[in-house]
Amino acid sequence: MSENPSDERATKVLVIATLLCSYPGIDATGQAHMEYSPNTYVLPTPDPVMFPESFYLYCFEKGIDAILIASCGTDSPYVGSYEQLAARVGSTYTRMKERGIDIRRLKLTAICSVCMKAFVKEINDMEALLAEIGPVDRQAAAVVA
Amino acid sequence: MPEEPLEPLDASGAAERIGVYVCHCGGNISDVVDVDRVATEAAGLEGVAVARHIMFMCSDEGQKAIIDDIKDLGLDRVVVAACTPKLHETTFRRAVVRAGMNPYLFQPANVREQASWAHPHSPLAATLKASSLVRAAVAKARLLEPLEKVSVAAVHRALVLGGGVAGLRAALDLARQGLGVTLVEKSPFLGGHATQLHTVFPTEDLARPLVGRLISEVMARPDITVLTGTEMVGVTGYVGDFTASLRMTPRGVNADLVDIDAAIAACPVEVPNEVDDGLSRRRAIHRPYPDSVPNLPAIDWAACTRCDACVKAVGGRGIDLDDRPTEMDIEVGAIVVATGFNHYEPYQGEYGYGQSPRVVTLPQFHRMLDPEGPTGGELKIEGRVPRAIAFIHCVGSRQIEGVDQPGPSGKLNEYCSRVCCTATLQAANQVRSRYPQTAVVDLYRDIRTYQKDQEAYYVDASKGGVLFLRFDNETRPTVEVTDASDTYPLRVKVRDTLTFGADLEVPVDLVVLSVGVMPSDVSGLIDMTKAPVGNDGFLLEVHPKLRPVESAIPGLLLAGTAQAPMDITESTSAASAAVAKVTTLLAKDHVEMEPFVARVDPSRCDGCGLCLEACQYAGAIALHDVEVEEGVIEKRAYVNPVACKGCGACVPSCPVEALDVQGWEIAQYRAMVEAITAEPVAIGA
Repeated sequence: MSENPSDERATKVLVIATLLCSYPGIDATGQAHMEYSPNTYVLPTPDPVMFPESFYLYCFEKGIDAILIASCGTDSPYVGSYEQLAARVGSTYTRMKERGIDIRRLKLTAICSVCMKAFVKEINDMEALLAEIGPVDRQAAAVVA
Repeated sequence: MPEEPLEPLDASGAAERIGVYVCHCGGNISDVVDVDRVATEAAGLEGVAVARHIMFMCSDEGQKAIIDDIKDLGLDRVVVAACTPKLHETTFRRAVVRAGMNPYLFQPANVREQASWAHPHSPLAATLKASSLVRAAVAKARLLEPLEKVSVAAVHRALVLGGGVAGLRAALDLARQGLGVTLVEKSPFLGGHATQLHTVFPTEDLARPLVGRLISEVMARPDITVLTGTEMVGVTGYVGDFTASLRMTPRGVNADLVDIDAAIAACPVEVPNEVDDGLSRRRAIHRPYPDSVPNLPAIDWAACTRCDACVKAVGGRGIDLDDRPTEMDIEVGAIVVATGFNHYEPYQGEYGYGQSPRVVTLPQFHRMLDPEGPTGGELKIEGRVPRAIAFIHCVGSRQIEGVDQPGPSGKLNEYCSRVCCTATLQAANQVRSRYPQTAVVDLYRDIRTYQKDQEAYYVDASKGGVLFLRFDNETRPTVEVTDASDTYPLRVKVRDTLTFGADLEVPVDLVVLSVGVMPSDVSGLIDMTKAPVGNDGFLLEVHPKLRPVESAIPGLLLAGTAQAPMDITESTSAASAAVAKVTTLLAKDHVEMEPFVARVDPSRCDGCGLCLEACQYAGAIALHDVEVEEGVIEKRAYVNPVACKGCGACVPSCPVEALDVQGWEIAQYRAMVEAITAEPVAIGA
């Protein structure tokens, strides 16, 4: 059920992609003309470990309805970063729950540089989820706990 | 190394005059995306001075348009919406530099791979997405600051860890490029595992003379310092200027020793000979073979009882049992890791291993085929040439949970060791050619003879009468040690998928286990350098295709089987590739690195130190005393830009948001998100 039934805008998915793993993989998806929802926006990063919890909440507040963190997983070239990232996502979930935001809107996954099918599946899954739960309640995300 | 913390680079004086350029890519973009609409919308964005669409932005014409506009219109930022930045980011950075602009004031927008190519059947949606991506790029560009590359003086010497074929190849290539080299080998002798082989595929060269030629070339170079019995026990510094601490185990023997054979013969201590993989025994004073390098024997201090028998046998000349370890520090600009591999050791009872001397590993079998090996090259078991031999593939490789037993680490070796198939077929062919009366049965799951000229080994084995039986992923052959009443000492049972699952029983005199390749123990190196390791336990490259021999630690390169299972051809190729990277790094007096490292806003930092806990890299962040006002000294975080890896783990740890990664700042991401979620600019507004 939608968190915000009155909001009928098109949903938007943000993908945070690592420069060394998932960003080339998403490029490869395009090179193979494997289609996915055009409402998907990719932001490259050296490593998603850099984002604080507040950044994810800011995205929801601004109208990003779901975020896919496409990390390198345990193959991250940065020591310990995946473990720190997982912990950060965990604490973000806590803050999302406090605001009544469905934690399925934020997903941590690993996408490699040739993981084209996996990326398309993740986006399709995310789109299916958004079809089920609808746009994010931006006001809830903006609440200062 | 800078003495002071990095200050934010001030771009506040620059007016916002952004140029936006949308590429047609000859139709690759413009056949789907309405580039005119994207450019027109971009022209209406705050701070945009000019927006154009051009057929090929990467062409001379496209680059000239940027350069002309920077000069003529006074642009202070440039956004190019085109293909993936992986292709032409460098092209456009160079273009803006030619117009006198800082290269880091350029911002790409990927509208080909992530718009036109990803949504070819939705032109309107692709156009709207492209516009959003351009909006985001402009939003980030407005916050870009000029950056300078991180520069550090380069020491023109490299350290090579490991004296096997990869390390030898690397040392020789480095020296030929004009760099000084220190090659350290943990064991007392050079050559590594390759010296345990008789012949090497696919050339069938004799292994020891082949490796010997490489060693001779290395030893002949005055610019290569070879230290055997030596390990790196500490390292500090960063790319261009590492200080490596080396510990040298004493050899116990010097050049005054003349009668080597007498000294060795006098030693009463015998231990398993690692060169023959335990098939023979050696003395505590030993050398692996007569032509070894160094040619002097070495004392195995763990085995030596200091009985003085060897000293007495040679009249006290050339042996010093009171030799002590020494340590030294050396300065190097880069480190090539060629620490090699270990063979998988089957557990007691695995395919009968350890239960019968007739079950051996492939490395042991190689020693049996070698005229310099423990049997003089004669393939005899208890005085007789075996009537039948079974080779079993994938022992300790491609292990499956629930089917195979984990090793002592508790982990399964899920990877393919790659080199064992050809090595097994090579051995099988040698048996068939040298002992045609010996039957050879090859039990395999899959066969991968993937390298150049290696498929011939499979063809030769097939034509040469090797009988292939295939087992599947879920079942394994079993090896039964029979009693004296049986005509054969071993029976191998297998469910053969080539005969549609028939249960077959093969009587043999010898079983050879084709064991896999395992990473050598480099835990000390990992602790010292924080070099990442893959799930398989091998050292991890930054990217298997884009940066295949670089570790995530700048200046630490990977060569050979420290990184993955490789044959000699691949190992030496990887070594040469690593050398190419080292010579590129150290070609100039300074090493230059991208400026995408953390920086501290000292006006916000309160010196709490949480960032130090988040950072995994020694020396990347420290607390320094800073005079915040006259006479008031407080702690402030300081980032060493040379030691920082730019991962950003420190950024979210800061409760006052005083940290960012240059070029990838949180404020820039926020601006991009705001742009993506904003309503499009009305054309004509």
